[in-house]
Amino acid sequence: MVFVESVKGAMRIIACCQTAAALGLASGTTLADARARVPDLEAIDHAPHADHDWLEALADGCGRYTPSVALDPPDGLVLDIAGCTHGFGGERELGAEIESQLARRGIAVRWACGDTPDAARALARFQTAAAPDEDAAIRRLPVIALGLDDEDTVALSRAGLKTIGDIACRPLAMIAARFGADAVTGIRRILGEEESPLTPRVVTPPLRVERRFAEPVARTEYALEVLGELAAEAVVVLEETGEGGRRFEARFFRSDGLVQRLAVETGQPSRDVKAILRLFRERIDSLSDPIDPGFGFDLIRLDVPIAEPLDASQLKLEGGAVAEIEVAALIDRLSTRLGRGRVRRFVPRDTHIPEQAELLLPAVEAGKPVPWPKPEAGEPPLRPIHLFDPPQPIQVTSEVPDGPPLQFRWRRTLHEVARMEGPERIAPEWWRRREGKGLTRDYYRIEDVRGRRFWIFRHGLYDEVEQPGWYVHGLFA
Amino acid sequence: MSFADLVTATNYSFLRGASHPKDMVGQALALGHSGIGIADRNTVAGVVRAHVALKESQAKSREETGSETPFKLAVGSRLVFVDGTPDIVVYPRTRYGWGRLTRLLTLGNRRAEKGGCILRFADLLEFAQDMVLIVLSESSFDPHEVDEAKHSRPKSDDSSNVVTLEFSDRHPGLVPGPTGEHATVSRLERWAPAQGRGDDRLERVLARLAKALPGGIWLGVSMPRAGRDGRKLARLCRLANEAHVPVLATCDALYATAGQRPLHDIVTCIRKGETVAGAGRLLEANGERHLKPETEMRRLFRDRPDAVDESERILSLIDFTLDQLKYEYPHEPVPPGWDPQDWLEHLVYKEANKQHPDGIPVKLQKTLDEEFELIRDRNYAYYFLTVYEAVKFAREQKPPILCQGRGSAANSAVCYLLGVTSVDPMKYDLLFSRFVSSKRDEPPDIDVDFEHERREDVIQHIYERYGRHRAAIAATVIHYRARSTVREVGKALGLSEDVTQRLTSTVWGSYASSMEEDRFAMAGYSLDNPAMAQLKTIVDQLLEFPRHLSQHVGGFVLTQDRLDETVPLHNAAMEDRTFIEWDKDDIDALGLMKVDILALGMLTCIQKCFDLMRLHGLGDYDLKSIPQDDPEVYDMLRKGDSIGVFQIESRAQINMLPRLKPRKFYDLVIQVAIVRPGPIEGDMVHPYLRRRAGKEKPELPSPKYGDPGELKDVLGKTEGVPLFQEQAMKLAIVAAGFSPDKANELRKAMATFRNAGTIGNLKADMIEGMVKRGYERDFAERCYKQIEGFGSYGFPESHALSFAGLVYVSSWIKYHHPAVFCAALLNSQPMGFYAPAQLVGDARKHGVEVREVDVNVSAWDNTIEPVLNRDPGLVPGVTHPQSTPSLVAQWTLEHVRGDEEGKGVALRLGFRQIDGFKEDWAKSLVASRETGPFASVEELAARANLPSRALRLLADADAFRSIDLDRRGALWEARRMPGDVLPLFAAAEARQLGAETDAQLPAMPLSEHVAADYQVTRLSLKGHPMQFLREGFEREGVLSSAEAGRLSKGRVRVAGVVLVRQRPGKGNAIFVTLEDETGIVNVLFWARTFEVYRRQIMAAHLMEVEGEVRKSEEGVLHIIGARAIDRTEELSKLSEDHVTRPPMARADVSLAPDHRRDVAPRGSHPRNVRILPKSRDFH
Repeated sequence: MVFVESVKGAMRIIACCQTAAALGLASGTTLADARARVPDLEAIDHAPHADHDWLEALADGCGRYTPSVALDPPDGLVLDIAGCTHGFGGERELGAEIESQLARRGIAVRWACGDTPDAARALARFQTAAAPDEDAAIRRLPVIALGLDDEDTVALSRAGLKTIGDIACRPLAMIAARFGADAVTGIRRILGEEESPLTPRVVTPPLRVERRFAEPVARTEYALEVLGELAAEAVVVLEETGEGGRRFEARFFRSDGLVQRLAVETGQPSRDVKAILRLFRERIDSLSDPIDPGFGFDLIRLDVPIAEPLDASQLKLEGGAVAEIEVAALIDRLSTRLGRGRVRRFVPRDTHIPEQAELLLPAVEAGKPVPWPKPEAGEPPLRPIHLFDPPQPIQVTSEVPDGPPLQFRWRRTLHEVARMEGPERIAPEWWRRREGKGLTRDYYRIEDVRGRRFWIFRHGLYDEVEQPGWYVHGLFA
Repeated sequence: MSFADLVTATNYSFLRGASHPKDMVGQALALGHSGIGIADRNTVAGVVRAHVALKESQAKSREETGSETPFKLAVGSRLVFVDGTPDIVVYPRTRYGWGRLTRLLTLGNRRAEKGGCILRFADLLEFAQDMVLIVLSESSFDPHEVDEAKHSRPKSDDSSNVVTLEFSDRHPGLVPGPTGEHATVSRLERWAPAQGRGDDRLERVLARLAKALPGGIWLGVSMPRAGRDGRKLARLCRLANEAHVPVLATCDALYATAGQRPLHDIVTCIRKGETVAGAGRLLEANGERHLKPETEMRRLFRDRPDAVDESERILSLIDFTLDQLKYEYPHEPVPPGWDPQDWLEHLVYKEANKQHPDGIPVKLQKTLDEEFELIRDRNYAYYFLTVYEAVKFAREQKPPILCQGRGSAANSAVCYLLGVTSVDPMKYDLLFSRFVSSKRDEPPDIDVDFEHERREDVIQHIYERYGRHRAAIAATVIHYRARSTVREVGKALGLSEDVTQRLTSTVWGSYASSMEEDRFAMAGYSLDNPAMAQLKTIVDQLLEFPRHLSQHVGGFVLTQDRLDETVPLHNAAMEDRTFIEWDKDDIDALGLMKVDILALGMLTCIQKCFDLMRLHGLGDYDLKSIPQDDPEVYDMLRKGDSIGVFQIESRAQINMLPRLKPRKFYDLVIQVAIVRPGPIEGDMVHPYLRRRAGKEKPELPSPKYGDPGELKDVLGKTEGVPLFQEQAMKLAIVAAGFSPDKANELRKAMATFRNAGTIGNLKADMIEGMVKRGYERDFAERCYKQIEGFGSYGFPESHALSFAGLVYVSSWIKYHHPAVFCAALLNSQPMGFYAPAQLVGDARKHGVEVREVDVNVSAWDNTIEPVLNRDPGLVPGVTHPQSTPSLVAQWTLEHVRGDEEGKGVALRLGFRQIDGFKEDWAKSLVASRETGPFASVEELAARANLPSRALRLLADADAFRSIDLDRRGALWEARRMPGDVLPLFAAAEARQLGAETDAQLPAMPLSEHVAADYQVTRLSLKGHPMQFLREGFEREGVLSSAEAGRLSKGRVRVAGVVLVRQRPGKGNAIFVTLEDETGIVNVLFWARTFEVYRRQIMAAHLMEVEGEVRKSEEGVLHIIGARAIDRTEELSKLSEDHVTRPPMARADVSLAPDHRRDVAPRGSHPRNVRILPKSRDFH
C-alpha cells in the first residue's frame, strides 16, 4: 500500500507501508514506475490534513507524560520530559512505556533522549549505532541530521565532512562563510551549546464559563438569569476570537449531586445572548420534566463546544434586523422547540429529474438558503407547485406514438384536455443504470375544460416499452 | 418532397459533436435525406472527411446498383461570435464564397493568439458574400473558448495582427458569382449587438443581415422537446416574418443517431471538467439532437411545413463543392520569361552535362525523357522547382545547411540531378513510376531532411519567400488514443485516477489505438462490473475521435494564390508558425501538394563533424566527397562496432551486423531495412541470412501456373526474399494478380492501418490470389504478414538507400576520426540511442584520449585538441596524492587500443556536459579567459562575473584541476565566494576574502569522485562505478562482462549498471543491457521469468543476473536470465566512508526498513537516489 500525491502532473509516492518499502518502493517514485514493478499495488490518495490531525491526536495522548509537547511535522513529536520521568522510573522506562503504548495502536516508534530538543530529534531520526555517551552519539550523526537543504547537505558531504563531529572540530567561521549562520546555529543547538526553544503545542480548550454559589440557588428563574449572565460572558470571549457559537451546553449541578444538562444548537454561528437564552427557554418549555432545582444548584456551567468564525455583522442603517437573520433565528427557535428533524428546508439539486431536483434537509443543517430560480416573465411556469410522490397512475387517450394526451381519467374522474403544451422530454440518467436501461418521460402541461391544470407524463417511449404508462406528477395553480 | 438537415456538427466541433463526419453523412444517406450540411464551430476541419465519405459511398453504390442516389453535401461552418451575436451557420454558394469564409475564419483564428477563434458580427458583414446564412436563435459562445485576456487587448480590435488584406484577389476562381449581391458594407456603420437582449438582438441581426445579403438569410428553428417548443417556434416565426426571412427546420444535430447520447454526455463532461453524476443540467435533458427522418421532421413541424421544405431550396442555391478547389504551386521559382517545364529541364540538363561531360548515357536519357513526360503531363514542374529552391537556399547558407531527400523521391533521376536526393537511381535501378505514376492520381511527395538545429531557418525562409498568406504547415489531427481516452472517460464517469491509471498502465506505448477486453482483465477488473462495462462501451466509441489540431512536423503547403482562400489558417503554438486546419489525408484527398521540410539530428551531427575536421586540418569534406567504399569502414561495422552511427546503433542492429556482414553499400541498405517490424514479423530475416551465408540456395518461389521466373525482377536483388515495401507491393501485383489500383489501395490501407479496418478483405484477396496462382500458402501468408508490418513501419528501398548514405558517412567519420565523431555527437544531444557516458566510453575504447572539463581549456561545446598538448588537468590527485591515481591509469590503459594514424587528437569535454550549466555562463567565462588563464577560483569569479551557482557547478564538475584544485578543494573555495552581488561590490568584497587556515579536509576517495562525476556530468573519466565494487562481487563469484564473454556456455552470474531495458514487439522477451568496467553484457528475460522478477528488473540501477550463456555463431553473447537481483544498494558504497560505516550496520538497517517519507534512510545521502543517469525504459 502506498500513499500518492500529484506532484507536477505526475502521481508520485509520498509514503509507503512496510511491505511496499520491503519491495523496494520509496517516496518520490512515480506511481506508473511503481506499478511497472508491483502491478497489484494499492494506491491511496495522500491526505496531509489527516496526517496532521493524527499527529495532533497523538500529541494529545502524550499529555499524560508531560504537559509540554511540541509537534515536529509531518511525523514527529518532541516531549519535554524534564522532571516528568520519576513516575515512570526514568528516561528509558518512559521511552519503553511510550513505545509499548503506541505499538498497541500499530504505530512503530523511534525515540531518543537528548539534552536539547534538536539533539533529541537528530538522535531519534538518524542514530544508527550505539555510542558511549550522548555527545559521542551526536558527533557520529551524519550531516543530514543538521536539517540543511539538500544542496548544502551534499556540499558538506562532498567536502568530506560526513558527520556532525567532522564539522564541529573545524573553525565554525569557516562553516559560516560557506553555509551561512543557520548552519552554525544548527550545529551549536544540536551540540547543546546554544539554547533551542521548544514551542509546545497550545491546545485551546473549549470555551467554558461557570458560576459557583456559596448558597445553593433554589429558584429556576434565578438560575436562568445566571445562565444569561454566563452567556453574556461567553459572548465577550467569542467576540474577541471572532467566533460565534453553534452549540451551547448548560449544566446545572445540584447540591445533592444530580447534574442536569441542556443543550441548544443554532443554524448559523451566533453571539446573540437574547437569542441563545430564548433557545434555552424554548428547550426548557418543551421538556416534560422542567428543571427541578431540588435543594438548589451550587454550580452552573456553560460550555460552547462548537464555535465557528463569525464576522461582526452590520445592521441595516435604517434600523431593523436583516430578514435573513430573522429567518435564521426563527429556524433556530422552531428547531429547538419541535426538534431539528421537524423543521426542514428545500435545497435545490442540479438534475433534470424533477422529483430529485430538490432535497429536504433539516433547516439547521441546510446552511445558507440558495436562491430559488425565478420564473421567466410572461412565461407560464414549467414546474408545478405541487408534486406527487410517487406520481399517480392515470388512464389516457392519446395519439400514438408520442402525441399529446386528449383525455385522461384520474381518480375515476374523466378530464377532457382543453389546452396542452409539451412534450418536455426527460431522458433517464443512463450512468446510474446498467446498460442504460430506464424509461424516457414526456411531460405535458395540461389544462382541462374546467380550467384545472395538471402536469402529466408518459413513462417510456413506444420503442422502449410495449405499453407506456401515464402518470400525473403534479398540479399547477 | 424531401428534407436535409443543414445544421449539423461533427466531432470536429471538439468535445461538442459526438459523431465522425462519415457517420453523419452515412446516417443522412441511410435516412434518405436529400443532403446534409456539415458546419462545425468556427472550423472547416472536418468537411473533407465528410466529402471523402460521400464520394466513397457513392462510388460503392455505383458499383453495386449502377447508379448513385442524388445527395448534396453542403460544407460550411457554424460561426460562434464573441460579442453575443447568435450563432450563424454559413454555407458558401460558390468558390468565391468559400474563399470569403476561409478568410473570415483565418481572421478569427489569427486574432486569437492561443487557440480559439475570435469573430464579431462586423467581421461577418465584411466577408458575407456568395453565402447562405442560417441564423440560429441563441449564441453558444463560451467565454472559456478563447483566451479573453488576449482578445480584450485594444490592438485586437482590427486587423493589425492579421494577414493583410491588401493582397489583391488574384485567384482565377474568385470572381463573385452571379448570385452574389457583392455587398460592400461600410465599416463605419458600427454594430452594437450588445445593446439588444434575447429576441431584440436576434431581431436586429436578422434585419441587418437581410439588408446585407437579401435572399440569403434563414432563421434556423429546432424542436428539441424542451417543454415549450411550440411557443418558441411561434415566437421565432413571428420574428422571421417581420424580417421577411424564411424559417428552416433543423435538429441542430450533434450526433448521428440517438445511441450517441451517452457519448455526447461524456464529451460534455470532459469539456467542462465534470463527472456525469455531478454535471446535472450542464448535460442535455434528453437525446434528441440527432438526425431524424423526414416524416418525423414533418410531424414535429406540422405547424410550419414550409420550414421543412426550405432545406431543399437552400441546397439548390449552393453550387460549391470541395472538388472546385483547384490548386496551383507557386510560380516564384521560375525566372521571368521561362516556362516552368523548360526551366526544370534546363536545370536538370545543366547538371547532367556537368556529371557526364562525355555525353549523357542512353539509359539516363531514356529515364529523363520518361520522367519529363510525366511531369509535363501532370504539370508537376512547379512542384519540383519549389523543392529545388528550398534545397538551394539551404546549400547557399554560410555555412551550408546539410540536407538530403528521403523516401520515394529517391526513385527520381530528376530529383537526383537537382540535388534534392543523393541516391543515383541509375545505379540501383530505381523506377520513377514508383514515385509518381500516371495511373495513380496522386500528387508526389518529396520529403527533405535538414539539420535539426537549423531547420527553422529554412522554414522561416519559406514563409518569407512566399508570404504567410500563401505558405503554411499542414495540420496533424491529434486523436484520442487508448491512454488518453481511458483517463478522460474514467474521470468523467467518476472513477478514481488510480483505477484509470491501472488500466492505462497495461497499454504499451501511448499510441495504442484500441482498448481490448483482456486489458481490463490484466488490470484486475472484470467487465461484469457495470462501471467497467460502461467505461469500455464509451471508450470504444471515443477512441479515434479527433482531440485537437496540431501542426505537422514539417509538411508545407504552398500555393500560387492566397492559401487562406482555400483553407483557414491558425497560429501554431510555436512562435512564427502558421498552419492550415487540414491534415495530410485531407490534402491528399483534395489533390493539394505538400513539401515535407523535416529535421534530422544526424545531419546536424555530420555537419558538426565536417566543421571540426575543417577547423583542425583533418580534411575538408561534404556529404558527397567522403571517400566511397572504404573497406576498413565495413570491417569495423562487421564487428558490430556501430555505437553512435546513424540508424544502425540499436542493440538489434548491432546484433545483426556480424550476421549480415556488410561489404558494400547495398548491404547497408539491406541492413537498414531488415531490422524493422515488417521483415521481422513477416519472418523474412532468417531465410535472407541463410541464403546470404550460402547455407541455402536462393530460390525464387514460383507459381504453378504462369511464368515460373516472374518474380526474378521483383526479388532478384534480395536473394528471393521480399525486404522492401516496393517488393511487397510488386508481389501483390505480379503474384496475386492485383491491379495497380488495388495494390495502391492495399498500400493506402497499410499506411492508414491505425485508422481504418478496411484491410481485412484485401488480406483474403491477396493470399487467395497467390494460392490460386500456385504459390505455397505459407509463403503467401508470410508476404501478407510482412505487408501488415510495413503498414506502420516499413521502409521502401529508395528510403533505405537515402538513409544508408548517411549510415556510411557517419561510419566513415566514426572510423577515421573517432574523437571528432564523439565530440559532434555530444554537441548534438539529445539524439540517438546512447547516453553521453556510453558515447565517451566507446570513443575511449577506440583510443581517443578524453579530457575532463576544465575552466582554463574547455568551451561550451565539446572540442578536440592535439594530443601532444600536455593536459593540465590530466593527472587527478595532484593536490591529493593519496587518491590512488594508479587505478585511473589502469582503467584507461586497458582500453586504449593504441595510437593509430589520423587519430592523434584528444576530445576535450565542454561545459555543456555539466548538468544545469548555462550557455551564457560558458560564453562569458570563455570571453574573460582571453586575457589569460585563471589562477584561482576567486579570480575566475571576479573576471567572468559568474553567479555562485555557476561556480559551484564548475567545482562540482571537478573543472579546476588546472589551478591545482581537486573537486573537494574547489568546492570549498567556491562555497566561500560571496553570493550574487553587483560586480562592483563583488570586486570590493573579493579583496577582503583574506587568507584562511587550511581546513584539513580529508582527501576524496576515487570512488566518490566517480560517483560525483556521474551526478554532475553523467559520465566519469576516472573510473566505472563497478570497478570499486568488483572485489566484493568477485568474492561472491560474480563474473565481469569480459570474463563472461570468454565463455561459450554454462551458468554464470554477472552484475552491472543497467543501461537500457527494452520490451520490443509482442513483449515475449525483455532485453536488459548491463555495463561494467570491462564492457557490456546483454541479458534476455523471457516474459515468464520477467513476471517473477518484474520488481527487481524494473527497479534496479545495478542488477545482478544469474543465467545461461548463449553464444550465436557470429560470436554474439547473450545471457538468458533466470534470476535477477536488485543490487542498487551497493552503489551507496561508492561515496560512503568505509571505515565509519561497516557493512554490518547496513545489513542491520535493511532488516527494519525505514518508511518515513522526507528523510532518507539513516545515514545515506539524498544524492544516492540519482547516482546514475536513469536508464532508458519501457513502461
